[in-house]
Formats: sequence, C-alpha cells, structure tokens
Amino acid sequence: MGSHAKAWLVEDESAREMLDRVLTERPFLLLPPLHRVPLRVGNVVELAGPSSSSKTHILIQAAITCILPKLWKGVSYGGLGHSAMFIDLDCRFDVLRFSELLNHRIMEAANGSSSKVGCHQKDSEAQFARMKPYNEELFALCMKRFLYIRCYDSSEFLATLKTLHYRLQKEREVHGVNVHLLLIDRKSWHLQNVSEAVVQEIRRLLLVHPMLVMATKAVVLGNKYSTNELTWNYRKWSAVDNPYSRNITSDQQLPYREYMPAAWQSFVTHRILVRATDDDLVNGEHQNNSIYLLEWLLPPLNSLDKFTVRDTGVFILS
Amino acid sequence: MARLANLETEYPVLDSTVRNFCASHGIFSVEDFLIHDLYMLAAFAEQNNSSERLKEGIAQVLSVIDDMHQPWLNGMELLEDAKRNKHVFPTGIQGIDLLLGGGIRVGQLTELVGPSSSGKTQVCLRTASNVARNHMVLYLDTGNSFSPQRIAYFLGKTINPSSAQAKNQFLQKVMSNISCHSVFDIFAMFDVLHQLESYLRCQDGRGGCQMRLLIVDSISSLISPVLGSSSTQGRALMTSAGYLLKKLAHQHNLAVLIINHTVGGEGGYSKPALGDSWKCIPHSRLFLSCDRGSNNYNVSILRHPSMASGKAARFVI
Repeated sequence: MGSHAKAWLVEDESAREMLDRVLTERPFLLLPPLHRVPLRVGNVVELAGPSSSSKTHILIQAAITCILPKLWKGVSYGGLGHSAMFIDLDCRFDVLRFSELLNHRIMEAANGSSSKVGCHQKDSEAQFARMKPYNEELFALCMKRFLYIRCYDSSEFLATLKTLHYRLQKEREVHGVNVHLLLIDRKSWHLQNVSEAVVQEIRRLLLVHPMLVMATKAVVLGNKYSTNELTWNYRKWSAVDNPYSRNITSDQQLPYREYMPAAWQSFVTHRILVRATDDDLVNGEHQNNSIYLLEWLLPPLNSLDKFTVRDTGVFILS
Repeated sequence: MARLANLETEYPVLDSTVRNFCASHGIFSVEDFLIHDLYMLAAFAEQNNSSERLKEGIAQVLSVIDDMHQPWLNGMELLEDAKRNKHVFPTGIQGIDLLLGGGIRVGQLTELVGPSSSGKTQVCLRTASNVARNHMVLYLDTGNSFSPQRIAYFLGKTINPSSAQAKNQFLQKVMSNISCHSVFDIFAMFDVLHQLESYLRCQDGRGGCQMRLLIVDSISSLISPVLGSSSTQGRALMTSAGYLLKKLAHQHNLAVLIINHTVGGEGGYSKPALGDSWKCIPHSRLFLSCDRGSNNYNVSILRHPSMASGKAARFVI
C-alpha cells in the first residue's frame, strides 16, 4: 500500500523529457464543423447553445476524428490516431449511437478508397466483404482509445480531475499513445469554489499533458421566441401559420446570459455558439434533418456556418 | 463526508501529525481536499520537518479520492455493457413501440408529458403489466392513480383462455411482481429511492426475477411544490432527483418512466412543466395528447437520443 501510494508523488519528468515534450510538434487540428479556426492542444473550446442544438454531437464528432488513425492498412481515414477522454456530467451519452457513427466513418473511408481504384459493382462488394474483418479490428482498436467516465455530482467530477494525472500516465505506459482530447459534456455546477478548483486542476493537467479541451455549456437564449420544440411540432401538424415561431435569421444577434464564474470565463480560449433553426433539410423521404447555425464568438468571426447532422456525422452546408 | 480523524483507523498513516498539518491549511475532511490545491500542499509539506510522513498522508488521501469516482471505461467495455444489459422493453402499445423502434430502453429516463387525461397513466400501467410478466416493477404513485383492476384487465386481454385457476395463478404471479408505493413529497421519494438503491446493490448479480422498470407517476407533483422563484433549493432538489434516477437506471439496469404535466407557454401552447433545467435530464421525452371524445391518442417525440424529434404516431389503448 505504501509504495503504491508513494507513486502519486514521484517527480513527473526530467528536464530532458520536458524539452522533448515541449519541442514535439503541436499540429493544428481542423475539426468540422469547427473548421474555420484551427485548434491546437492547449486550447480550451467552449460550445454554448440551448438544449438539443447538437453540442454533444460536435464533441462526439471530434472524438471520432481523434481516435481514427491517419492511415491504416493502406486506407486513409484522416484521423489523428490518439486517445480521447470523455467526461460525461450530463450522463446522457449513447454508446450505440457513437459506435454507429464510428462504423459509418470507417465504412465511408473504406468505400471512398475502393471507389477511387475504379472497380465494378461486383468487385467493390467483394472487396467490402474482405474488408469487413479489417473493419472490425479497426473498430475495436478505435473504441479502445475512447475513454469514458460519468460523474453524477461535482465531488465525483473533482475526484476524477484530481486523479486524472495518474490515470493519463498509466494510459501512456499501457497504450503508448497520448491523450489528445478532453471532452467535458455540460458544465452546470454553480458553486464558486468548485469552479475555481476545476479550472485550477485542468490548468495543471494541461501543463504536463497537452490536450485540447472542449466543453459544452447549456444556455438559454435571450430571445423569448426562440425555437420552442412544441410550437415547432404544431407547425408540422397544422397548416395554420403560427405567428410565434419566428425564423431565426442569420443577422439576428441573440444575446445570452453568461453564468459561468470569472475563473472559467478567463480560462476559455475559444467560444462558439450553436443553435438549431426552424428550417429543415429535406433529405429523402425518411430523413428530415434540422439545420444548425454555428457562430464563433471568440475569436469573433462575422460568418455563420450552417450544418446538419447525418448518419456519417456533421455535414457542412455553407 | 469523511473527516480525516475517522479515516485513521483504516489508514494509520493519517495520524495526528498529518491531520494537524492539514488543519493548519483549513483541511478537515476529504471533501476539503477536493477543493484544495494538492501540489501547493505538497510543496508546503516539503518544507515541514516530517515531510516524508506528510507526503505519505497526502498520497493516501489521494488514493481514497480515487475510489470516489466511477471507474473509467473504454469504448469497447461501454458497448459490451450496452449490448448485454441495456435492452429495450416493449410497452405493449403498438403505436408507441413502432415509434420508438422497439420500446423504452433500459438505462435511460423516458418522460411522458401531456395535459391531463392524455393517457399518461394508462401508458404506464400498460407498460408495467407488460414488463411484470418477467421482471419486477416499482410504481411510485403520487396521486393514487395506480389501478390494479386496470392491470388485471390488460393482462386478461393478452393471455390465452384456459382454466380459471391457471388464469388466476398467472395473474397472481404477475401482480406480485409489481410493487406500488405512495409518495406525496419529494423527500419521501428520495427515501424510497435510497432504499431501492441499497436493495438493488444486494440484488444485482443474484439470479431470479430482477427489477427492471421504475415508474414515477408523476414527478411534477413532487417537484413543483418545492420549485419557487426565490430560493435555489428547489432546483437543486430537482437536479439531484434527476441524477439519482439516472444513476439507478444506468448502474442497476432499470428502465425509468417518468410522468410530467404541462403548463401554459407562450402563444397559448402548452409546454412541459419543470422548466429548462429539467429539460436536459430525461433521455427521451414524449408528448401525449388525446383526441377529444375517443380512445385515440397521439404521441410525438420531443427528444430522443437516436430519432428525429417531431416524429409522431397514433395509438389506442
């Protein structure tokens, strides 16, 4: 027990290791739909938006891009090949949906490369059948790189953060890959000292384990007539025009109340606001995908990106 | 939260030297450790006379903290758990089952929202009668709406006509799988849920009939009285109730069905009660309504982890 406990306080690294770590290349990451601004490890990105505005989906998309390898058995997947850690404070993560998305991305990449060779229909089917065991192996490899934890209250969250350093070191030894992405779903605690402790812990972690941190935040948009789910449903059923479901036009500035304490606000380096619009993208008879609007608040860009969510992930419209 | 003094019996390294040092920094319990900067504390310990001892003490508390959170899982383990444990239970109502792609899912909170007499309790009773054939069901009743006659009626509709005695036996068996508790305020509900948690912790892993469905009819009548605009205690109670239900659902493989009422919203349309803070807690939200003067009901999806919201269906009970 004593020697195991002592392992907590072993010094982290020698000077040489530190230089190695700092001088390693820190590439820029372009993760759709956040492709306007290149992100690096060490950035803290905050995704704000009302509920059901696909914030968690963007996190999942980033996680999948992170865990997929760049190149594997001759097929390019365009991923980063690193581990991703997901801290679920919302406790609403659906792993079946996650694995579906991952599978779709793998198959899409595999199909993409086979179609480039220019095979006939039959050949590509045979190739697809041959690729299936590889896909499963790759799937298992990627899933093992995705680390997940649920926190049911803020003490569990703090306990997780305090022991994260040790956990990350263990991961490095076992897998040989670094964790590059830390995703936190829903920051909703209100206690001042808890937030300060959280920010402090994450800051310390980022010094030793450079990671990209992405956190979601639920906000209530200032506009009283913002998208109300029920009026939206009624619009679908009745032909009568509902004067209260105003379309959110692109040039409308929707203010929201910032409720996170100053410690967190100054820690965040990038800020994004996502929201759902009333429009739909009619995509075949079955799918009616909502269109989401994405706006960069920090650094402030004047453009609004439109995207929709499909089986294969996020699809940029404009 | 555990005071450091109480931990000494289990971890003798946390003796009075360590505790006095911690007390000098304002740390008296494990929870205080969570908020403090441990690296600074270690640095202070370094300068102290008995630094080795103090560092051992801090390391020991850190390993206690490590037990305080859920275990880390990787994607494959999560997927395996979902495939093995998180089944889908059909409600027995065809329209709803088709809409949801099978039924309500274990490990998730499904909320039924609707104005009064829109069939919410009926759907719960039907689902309870369906699940109780093979599993145990707990029904938390806040408004005396549980009706054993209705359950017997639903069961009677689906079993083959055979001898009256066999029918009776079957009814007895299924009805004994359903426990109904009356709770009239939120603290009573917390009580019942904590007892349930201890019960399930012993029960899990043992074979036989396991509990798989928890129904709360209705949660809005428990929470609305404590939600006031002046204090935040009501909202905190609401959030902890929601998280407790999620924890029970996930860790003990229960499907949770919650009933919520509607309140007036803008434009004269009704919206679910309990406000925006509650909105994000259930995994799925279904809106029920009834066609006036008939047995036809409408259900539409307000929110679902894998279906688009707005999908609607009709059903008959």
